[in-house]
Amino acid sequence: MADKDLKVGIGDMKFTRGGGTVITYALGSCIGITFYDPAIKLGGLLHIMLPTRNDSNDTKVFKYADSGIRETIRKLSAFGMMKSRTIVKIAGGAKMFDIKGNSDFGNIGQRNAAMVKKVLMEERMRISAEDTGGAYARTMVLNVNTGEVFIRTVGKPEKRL
Amino acid sequence: MVKRLKSYEDMNLQELDVMKEISSIGTSHAATSLSKLLQKEVRISIPEVSVLSYEETVDRMGNIEELVAATLVQMSNEVNGLMLFVFKLDMANVVLEKLIGRKYESFEEMDELDYSALEEVGNIIICSYVNAFAQLVDVGIDLSVPSSTVNMLGGVLTVPIAEYGYETDKLMYINAEFIMDGTKLSDGLLMLPDIESLNNILVKLGVL
Repeated sequence: MADKDLKVGIGDMKFTRGGGTVITYALGSCIGITFYDPAIKLGGLLHIMLPTRNDSNDTKVFKYADSGIRETIRKLSAFGMMKSRTIVKIAGGAKMFDIKGNSDFGNIGQRNAAMVKKVLMEERMRISAEDTGGAYARTMVLNVNTGEVFIRTVGKPEKRL
Repeated sequence: MVKRLKSYEDMNLQELDVMKEISSIGTSHAATSLSKLLQKEVRISIPEVSVLSYEETVDRMGNIEELVAATLVQMSNEVNGLMLFVFKLDMANVVLEKLIGRKYESFEEMDELDYSALEEVGNIIICSYVNAFAQLVDVGIDLSVPSSTVNMLGGVLTVPIAEYGYETDKLMYINAEFIMDGTKLSDGLLMLPDIESLNNILVKLGVL
């Protein structure tokens, strides 16, 4: 069977087991978070857009860092993921535009990164690598066979995270 | 009690039609300014105004990882929100060739001078659009200084989506094609009033 290549949209999460890749394109202020349990080759990628889910009736759980991370952990755990074995990496959280005289504008990336770290800490999951901040978009790829994570940005060679 | 819109996608056909009508006047003003600046005839197609999701907007405009130049201006006063103008390479080249006599194979070859020329042209297009819009609707709109980036299309479009992420998952995309020397250029203008402002605009126009 051919390995699956899964694409994760904005405010979404996908996971697979054994092989294939999970990819999310052009993370701007959003953050991509990969979860990989090497013992069972289970890998997921979550693409969050905002820090907190303020309305508990909002069904788009993967759009927010807090509800998205918790729901991803719940789902992957149901498929056998063990937190203690799982490798977590994060990328994104850029500030794409700078408006003079309005330093608050576009800080959403920074706020996203802070919330992602906070929630992961509360969940007792350590971030083993990160590539956040800056002013450029990133594409993030998780190889589910090897657990490797790659970051593509414009004008630079692809790098391993 | 008048009806209030909760999101862009609540706009009905009549309301969208009114936005399209105003946009076509806004974009023709933008074309006139561009024409003056480039000293060249610039025509403009009748714009379509669509309320689209992030993914749909990316698909309409190109490839998610494609490099584009974008100028962003913040609106405040009676209308709060963002204006975003996106240049694809063909449009950027037409502008740069005319203004500074340069042409490129890709955005990566450009330097700061090219970027600031594009930022200024984006700013002029946005300002003339917004001024015409504000006059017609009779609202006061203040504009911030422009800010710009050369980045992946998908990354650029996450900025307005995240900024209004707590209100809506949609963008208002104004698809007006500039035509120069018989060639359609690819560009995109996004007008993103916040929801309260959108309601105010439609009330002012008497459609809500």
